[in-house]
Amino acid sequence: MQQTEPTAARTPDAVKVVKTHGLPAIPFCIATAESPGEAFVGMSDFAVHRIDLGADKPEASPIGEARHGSYVTGIVRVGGTIVSGGYDGALIWWDAGTGSVVRRVEGAHAKWIRRLALSPDGTRVASVADDMRTRLWDVATGGCVADWGDNDVKTPHGYPSMLYAVAFSPDGRFLATGSKTGLVLVRDAASGSIAGRLETPVMYTWDPKARNHSIGGIRSLAFSSDATLLAVGGMGKVGNIDHLEGASRIELFEWQAQSRRAEIEDTKYKGLVEALRFGPGDGWLVAAGGDNGGFVSAYATSDGRLLAQEKVGNHIHDILLAADGASLVAVGHQQISTVTL
Amino acid sequence: MHPDHTGRGTTVHPQGSGVAQPGSGISRRRLLAMSAAGVASPLVADMSAIRLLRSPAFAAELRKQERRVILLWLAGGASQFETWDPKPGVKTGGPFRAIPTDVPGIHISELLPGLAQRMRHTAVIRSLNTKIADHGTAAELMECGRRNDPSVRFPDIGAIVARELGRLESTVPDYVSLYTSTEGRRKGTSGFLGARYSPMFLSESMTPPNILRLENLTDVDHHDRAALRDALARRFTAESRSLAVDSHLSAYQRVQGMMASADLFDIGREPESVRARYGSTQFGEQCLIARRLVEAGVPFVKVARAWWDSHGQNFETHQELCADLDHCMSALLDDLRARGLLEHTLVITLGEFGRTPGINASLGRDHFASAWSCSLSGAGVRGGVAYGKTDKEGHTVVEGEASAGDLFATILASLGIDPEHEYMLGSRPVPLADFGSEPITEVLA
Repeated sequence: MQQTEPTAARTPDAVKVVKTHGLPAIPFCIATAESPGEAFVGMSDFAVHRIDLGADKPEASPIGEARHGSYVTGIVRVGGTIVSGGYDGALIWWDAGTGSVVRRVEGAHAKWIRRLALSPDGTRVASVADDMRTRLWDVATGGCVADWGDNDVKTPHGYPSMLYAVAFSPDGRFLATGSKTGLVLVRDAASGSIAGRLETPVMYTWDPKARNHSIGGIRSLAFSSDATLLAVGGMGKVGNIDHLEGASRIELFEWQAQSRRAEIEDTKYKGLVEALRFGPGDGWLVAAGGDNGGFVSAYATSDGRLLAQEKVGNHIHDILLAADGASLVAVGHQQISTVTL
Repeated sequence: MHPDHTGRGTTVHPQGSGVAQPGSGISRRRLLAMSAAGVASPLVADMSAIRLLRSPAFAAELRKQERRVILLWLAGGASQFETWDPKPGVKTGGPFRAIPTDVPGIHISELLPGLAQRMRHTAVIRSLNTKIADHGTAAELMECGRRNDPSVRFPDIGAIVARELGRLESTVPDYVSLYTSTEGRRKGTSGFLGARYSPMFLSESMTPPNILRLENLTDVDHHDRAALRDALARRFTAESRSLAVDSHLSAYQRVQGMMASADLFDIGREPESVRARYGSTQFGEQCLIARRLVEAGVPFVKVARAWWDSHGQNFETHQELCADLDHCMSALLDDLRARGLLEHTLVITLGEFGRTPGINASLGRDHFASAWSCSLSGAGVRGGVAYGKTDKEGHTVVEGEASAGDLFATILASLGIDPEHEYMLGSRPVPLADFGSEPITEVLA
């Protein structure tokens, strides 16, 4: 992806799909490569792939022979090293250049790893998983340097809960996690002490009568650059939980004040908000996700008003926002798209 | 088993009391079998066990065993990939692993670790091809083992088992159906067998409504009234006996039995340790009720666990629902076994269909009836068997294809009921299992 200098004043007034290309499997996560115009994606074929974004028809190629034991759902890059995590509960350190495995930590979590986040200084990678643990890993050694609980293993209705989302604040001081039942915990990333606790119960739908199970959960988190704002993404209450038919939903918090600045619900583009990023200057944020179809929407952070949005192919799982906020790459169901803002 | 079920062909009065008389029609299938005599078939040896079901001595022995059924109805359609027929590592396989079971060579989804350790009691059928993939019609097909006929309302498996294994003198219900969720709720049907074999249908609570003695009626008054009614009835029947009067008396006796059986639905009467093993979910509590009912002699209990229709978020849905199924069914099998009931009780997991190999953009799986799975555990079943096979990605059956009728015949055979036995509906013979269906002998004990 082409990187340009950030310009704080720029605000998106349109979302436009520049190109979309099919992929042979489902990509769940994306990270930049060292080479401009390339990216790494974790996919449902259990592999980490390199993709040339500049090609007319971007092809996904596995970076090595090794594979996870299940879907690859988290990926970060630090210099020439990639760390990936998957539903197999394993973390793999890869040499980004050769595709060889540097380190493999089996049983990094007892259940599915949902997401990874890299600390801004590049020394720690955070993982969240359905064992409801949040762990910090030393990027250089692979050692686990912190292990935090504080999320209930089961939902209030007695079923296994899930820990879907994780994000560092840009200054590296805080680490936020989001659960299936709508609990956000913000920790001091150094000590692990809980600095903030937010509830977003609308994002968890329990159907006690018609279908007797649940859907939803917090799927995305993002801090503003000064770490005062925390955006939380998921889906609003769902009538028929057979489908992702709830409104896409974002709650924007001044989290240290325990104040909800905006609640954004969109019934035009429904489904889960799978990815959130603040634009340069924090004046807007971009959200991506979907039901069967995908969407990209931009909102003002002052009041949550919609700035621009567009349907973007299939359900989007992750995005890579350019530093200048002018474009993004979205990975969705069996496809990858380039979008301008 | 009813005393009138003495051989092939039973006449049924569709609009009457359901009381049946011996019939005399020769079986259409028997005729076909006779015409085919002399044609060599590898099934001949295996089918000998089925023919044994027609032996009066064998039938009498089975009757003594008092076989029962608990149907765990996975309403909405559970995914075979996430339960009994995992395909890890292929494009359609999803994210879950296959795990070994206590039977070497058989692997099932990692979402069923408890049942994996009880596979020795279970036969899995991985080769159902039932063709119909809309909820209503498919549910009807799997409940009745055949498509509906415009001229006949067929009974479902519960009604047939109630009729074949229930006892006229029984004071407990013959067929109890628990379906608390509203989505996909179906009451069940006794079809031409009549209201006598309709289910006691519990949808709003786990205890039957209106069966408790009125508070303003003392227990003594209640029994005195029953005794007076009984005395008058005896005097009346001594002078004028008829089917209608017998039916009336039977209905009173059954109502009194129902009232007396209210405690069966009260799991508060179970020790806390037993309740804890089943867990606190609604499905767990209903499985415990099912055990109490079969222990008391109820021939057929259906516990519906809705709703598996995972068009979106299939994997999340199955993590919840499989956890429930695995825990509760494991507790149920253990409990039945500990009480010596498992060898007499058939536990079935079945829904209206399975789910597509393809994973849609909502990470869901859609309806699919071409290659899916069910399980049979306990009575009459050869445990530790995985019957049938689907292709590498689970699109088609490649070995041992079984229809709804075949499954129906297999269930009946496992209970010691001849699937080819016919009800005579007027002059029309209606076999218990559909024409052309055959039991899967490989899963029968």
